[in-house]
Amino acid sequence: MKTTYLAAASLVAVLTAQTAQADKLDDIIASGTLRCAVVLDFPPMGSRDADNNPIGFDVDYCNDLATALGVTAEIVETPFPDRIPALVSDRADVGVASTSDTLERAKTIGFSIPYFAFQMVVLTREDAGINDFDGQKGHTVGSVAGTYEGLQLEDNVKAWGAGEFRPYQNQADVFLALSQGQIDATVVTSTVASSIIATGQYPGFVMKGDAPYDIDYVSLIGLRNEYGFLNYLDLFVNQQVRTGRYQELYDKWIGGTAPTLSINGVYR
Amino acid sequence: MFNTALTLSDLGFMARGAAITLSITAIAVLFGTILGVIFGTLRTQISALAAAPLTFVLDVLRSVPLLIQLILANAFQSILGFGWQPFAVSCVVLSLYTSSYCAEIVRGGIEAVPMVTRRAARSLGLSWWQDLAHVVFPMALRVALPGWIGLTLGVMKDSALVLWLGIIELLRSSQILVTRLQEPLFILIVTGAIYFLISFPIARLGGRLEKRWREND
Amino acid sequence: MNNYTFHWYQAFRAVPQMLGGAVVTLEVALLSMILGIGFAVLIAVGRGSQRAAIRGLATTWVEVARNTPALFQIYMAHFGLGAFGLHLSPFTALLAGITFNNAGYLAETFRGALRAIPPTQARAARSLGMGPVRAFTLIILPQMFRISFLPMTNQMVWAILMTSLGIVVGMNTDLAGVTQALNVKTFRTFEFFALAAIIYYLAAKTVTFGARLLAARLFRY
Repeated sequence: MKTTYLAAASLVAVLTAQTAQADKLDDIIASGTLRCAVVLDFPPMGSRDADNNPIGFDVDYCNDLATALGVTAEIVETPFPDRIPALVSDRADVGVASTSDTLERAKTIGFSIPYFAFQMVVLTREDAGINDFDGQKGHTVGSVAGTYEGLQLEDNVKAWGAGEFRPYQNQADVFLALSQGQIDATVVTSTVASSIIATGQYPGFVMKGDAPYDIDYVSLIGLRNEYGFLNYLDLFVNQQVRTGRYQELYDKWIGGTAPTLSINGVYR
Repeated sequence: MFNTALTLSDLGFMARGAAITLSITAIAVLFGTILGVIFGTLRTQISALAAAPLTFVLDVLRSVPLLIQLILANAFQSILGFGWQPFAVSCVVLSLYTSSYCAEIVRGGIEAVPMVTRRAARSLGLSWWQDLAHVVFPMALRVALPGWIGLTLGVMKDSALVLWLGIIELLRSSQILVTRLQEPLFILIVTGAIYFLISFPIARLGGRLEKRWREND
Repeated sequence: MNNYTFHWYQAFRAVPQMLGGAVVTLEVALLSMILGIGFAVLIAVGRGSQRAAIRGLATTWVEVARNTPALFQIYMAHFGLGAFGLHLSPFTALLAGITFNNAGYLAETFRGALRAIPPTQARAARSLGMGPVRAFTLIILPQMFRISFLPMTNQMVWAILMTSLGIVVGMNTDLAGVTQALNVKTFRTFEFFALAAIIYYLAAKTVTFGARLLAARLFRY
């Protein structure tokens, strides 16, 4: 009798312990849906097709991750400034949204190893008279609030002591402002710049040289304390490169040799 | 300018956005009105001191920008781990926001009913509840209705702010189309026209009611 | 609790910066009110005009301002006018949007107030030898402002609240803009916006209280 009681008690203990331990990874698998925060005004990483459905590198990457987890993917559109709030407020499980791995952000959220790398370029209009990065001095420039390049460009404008910086809440508004002449230049990732020029939507847009910023390594993001999930993301990114899927997606959306994701001389 | 790439399916996309705008408005006005009537009645029926906490909260809801309220509520529910969808957060915030204005309208309506009328009702043997239900509310409704219609329209327009939480309502759907089609002016004018078409008839109806009821006074 | 730890220290350190933003907020709100009142008087008078074109313009302004979202109006002032090559800075676009909105609402208020002033007043003024403009500015207008004082105070509070919408057009110097800039750098959304909410509340209360003092002084008799 006593043994049965003990066994029952320990069974209850084990069961409750297991529910208490169910982490994000378990939750996602159990729910059957992976909710990815993706930025959809950032071609070729994320945009919408003619039927207003999400497409792009990040969308495919999210689908791959969902397939690996054996669940279905759900794209949650988030403007740039809303990526991390969306995660923290549990509207998304993972951010596949070209998020630069800054130390400031790492205080609030958790990063996987880099899954992509950007080179920053100056995007301007032909008639703006800007020929290189320093040519932006004294002009009104703009970028997306809180992005890697936006934060740096704002600092540049402050250092130049001339001109003005305008933060917009999404990439689309930056391009719209640039095309209308509200701003004369912006600093964006080379992939986005070439993709936006290739669409032909903005006839006057030209790239004028690289921005002297470090290579912008971007990571998948998850909640800071979900080690099990973050660990899974690391392995997933590693597998994407190892299996050649990374290069395949790069060919599909950008073309050329995909950037190296490891840094010489240091571990991540 | 009218040589547009806007397709019928894009208009459908905007119509879906408008449907979201309307459903959020309907929910917010429904719950906001119920709460507003309760809060407004409470404020007139209990002492100012007892109502002070309620008065303060309603005042805060009217003195902090709705956008800030939405951002705060969304951050707060996530901290508490509620895991609400943006739609739910928006409805809750907008309902409370609506109730804070509705309470003022209801209070104004009730206070417009002369005290002598109420005393007369009570001295005719009506109970407190009967007085409220059969004398005060019908008279207050007449004073409050135009304000309430204005409030409904205000909430419909203010609901555009929920786009900040990632909800694709009417204004957000138009921004998405602007991104793809690069015709900001045309699409924005269409958007404005849709808002106008929803709002204007109701505003006119409100104006007519106000006029008609004033004549009867 | 989602294992969230508040970082209030970081937020408190930003208070001076946010107060600087609040000054800009009040500046925009006040300017938009002054301009809005100016336009509103013209619209209110214009709605009674003999000329159909003026009447139509005034009516269109009022109906569009009152029947579309303020956010839409500000977005339109920046990106809609931008399509014409008319470039308004975020500050000007925000100011233009709110002024447009204020003028639309105030014009209706003023129209109601004008109706409340007995027409005999204007006739009396004219018979005392005043010209139509003098009679309007010296006799009618002061009474109109007095009748609409409370709605004007409310509109001022709304103007303050509306300034928070400037972030959609790249405004980064007002209270909401400063707060959002801090937010995107640190993602401490709750802490920063809670402080912003308190500052907005205090600003709105100051205006209401100030208006009450002013009313007590102006309308003493």
